[in-house]
Amino acid sequence: MPEWINILLRSVAFFIIVLILVRLMGKRQPAGLTPFNYVTYGVIAFITSLVILNVVNNIAFGLVALVVWTMLPIALDLAAMKSKWLHDWINGKPTTLIKQGKVMEENLAQVRLTGEELLRELRAKDVFRLADVEFAIMEPTGAVNVMLKADKKPLTPHDIGKQVSPQTEPQTVILDGNVMDESLANMGLNKNWLETQLAGIGVSLDNVFIGQIDTTGDLYVDLYDDAIQMPQPKVKELLYANLEKCQADLLTYALETKDTGAKDMYDKNAEKLEQLIKKLKPYLLR
Amino acid sequence: MTVGSQVKQTLAGLKGVGATLKIYATQSEEEEIKTVFTDATGITESVIKDLEERIKVLEFQEPQYKGH
Repeated sequence: MPEWINILLRSVAFFIIVLILVRLMGKRQPAGLTPFNYVTYGVIAFITSLVILNVVNNIAFGLVALVVWTMLPIALDLAAMKSKWLHDWINGKPTTLIKQGKVMEENLAQVRLTGEELLRELRAKDVFRLADVEFAIMEPTGAVNVMLKADKKPLTPHDIGKQVSPQTEPQTVILDGNVMDESLANMGLNKNWLETQLAGIGVSLDNVFIGQIDTTGDLYVDLYDDAIQMPQPKVKELLYANLEKCQADLLTYALETKDTGAKDMYDKNAEKLEQLIKKLKPYLLR
Repeated sequence: MTVGSQVKQTLAGLKGVGATLKIYATQSEEEEIKTVFTDATGITESVIKDLEERIKVLEFQEPQYKGH
């Protein structure tokens, strides 16, 4: 058998074997890897290439080494899920770099991070002023995570005491002009509903690249034909404006009528609508 | 424009609002939004009822404009 066929067969076989073994090891992304995970993957890669290129003649030797280097990490991971002590020992513990706004120099030395590097890591997190940092920690993976001082955090609706409408994830119902039946069903809607909505905005299904519906069932579409200006869904804003108009109308009638009973009725209902407008505002305007 | 037809216009607007609220109440998956919109539908319906009563009185007073 010529040498090249041997290498071809080994390559194909190990391509499939390594693919299966690495899939077995889980789906953690390179960014979330501890240094030892890198070593594991490196060893697997080296063993594979040595066997493929016939440096290691005996395929069985290669297979044994590969299986050990994939199964042991899996076994360790499983054991680490059961034992906190083992988990810390294998993966390491996070190291506090900044506490109560003060840099912990000893801990910095322990993870061999210079002041310059600490500042660089902070900048990577959009923090340019050390004074803004309350707390920073280095994860076992080497990533630095930062908590800002309370007055430097981004403003949230909760901070200004503003009520906002809850939102669930939007469902993508059209992709490449195809209707995604499953996500439609998730929202409790069907194809007929979608067709009615599309007819409403005057768009044909095959012209839609992406279509999404939000929590309240409003449809947003992106078209292949970018020359067409699509109106944004404005139903909620219109609804809010209409409510305000009705309320103002009722107030006017209350002023115009001479019948006291009718006046009371108008006033009472205007008040009701005003309450309603206040209540609906976070849900209709955002 | 008579008072009666003005009130009728407001009533029509309010009915439209009520219908849209109802659509949102049924379409929403989120429980909280559903409750808010369902409550809102109830309130608009009670206002609509009062206005309809008032229109009956107005039509009685301005019979020549009935149906406008």
